Amino acid sequence: MEETAFSLQPFFLWMAELSFSQWVLGETWAQPIAQVMHLVALAVFAGAVLVVDFRLLGVGFVNTSLPKVADEAMPWMIGAFVALFITGMPSLMSLALKQYYSPFFWWKMELVLLGIILTFTFRRWLIKTDEAKVGPVWPRLAGILSISIWSGVAINARLIGLFS
Amino acid sequence: MIRGVFAWADALPSSVWLRESLNAFPILLTSHVLSMCLFAGLVMMMDFRLAGIGNRSTSITDAQERLFPYQLVGGIVSFVTGALLFYSKPLTYFSNFHFWLKMLLLLLAFANVAYFHFKTYATVDEWNHEPTPPSPVRMAGYVSIGLWSLIIIIGRMAAYPGLVPQWWTNLGLDG
Repeated sequence: MEETAFSLQPFFLWMAELSFSQWVLGETWAQPIAQVMHLVALAVFAGAVLVVDFRLLGVGFVNTSLPKVADEAMPWMIGAFVALFITGMPSLMSLALKQYYSPFFWWKMELVLLGIILTFTFRRWLIKTDEAKVGPVWPRLAGILSISIWSGVAINARLIGLFS
Repeated sequence: MIRGVFAWADALPSSVWLRESLNAFPILLTSHVLSMCLFAGLVMMMDFRLAGIGNRSTSITDAQERLFPYQLVGGIVSFVTGALLFYSKPLTYFSNFHFWLKMLLLLLAFANVAYFHFKTYATVDEWNHEPTPPSPVRMAGYVSIGLWSLIIIIGRMAAYPGLVPQWWTNLGLDG
């Protein structure tokens, strides 16, 4: 990563040197357990996002109202996101400098931020608004954007481990 | 005998090409993860409905019929990319404890699907719209959630060939 006047590198270095990070690196099972749990949480998160995005695209649970589908998926989406955050921390902290210098990590983080913004603004507004008034174009756009962004997160996450 | 077949596959030019290609392995692995998200994510959503812990406003037949085509696409891509990942390193996987355990769990998961489809699902008309289905149906959902979670866990553990029981190491399958 290119160094600029403002750099997060000292923060990442501080994370890497924490005793928790050193413990994760030294403990044989810590990293594998966090990673397998991260992957299970990813599957739940993907399912909860997809059922709503499919509904926005006009497929999937079309016989159930969009707000109902979204309300029932929301706890699983939030819960899985929290689980993803918690189980992602051991890898982030123990390999902080590797992550810092990986372009895929920054792509992933930017896409996560974009995904959160989309989910709680445009996508949320579409869910709360009468489908008949909105028409089919905007919901489909939101569905495609959401699937693309979260797929981008998963792709970049996988590439951190392969190319960094 | 089995090791001989794996060794033969391992030496085939296409297998060598796959494991030596700079791009093939990352593309396959990334596609495997993405298709897993589609397949396992939607299977979990169906299982949550069966267990009565999610998607409770959607009827069970609707959830099954509407999700199945996408589960199938995810499952096929996941199977093909998984088979190619295996084919890129057959001998490595031959001695991998987690690979064999994952295959066993896949068999159990499909047996659970078959049992549910042919036995439990036969009475679906009686509990199709129940937000909380009867206990055998909920049990089928929880068993499926458990099995697919384990398949994901054990599949990821294949990257840690050192973290295996001692009795497996003692088999000396590394050759």
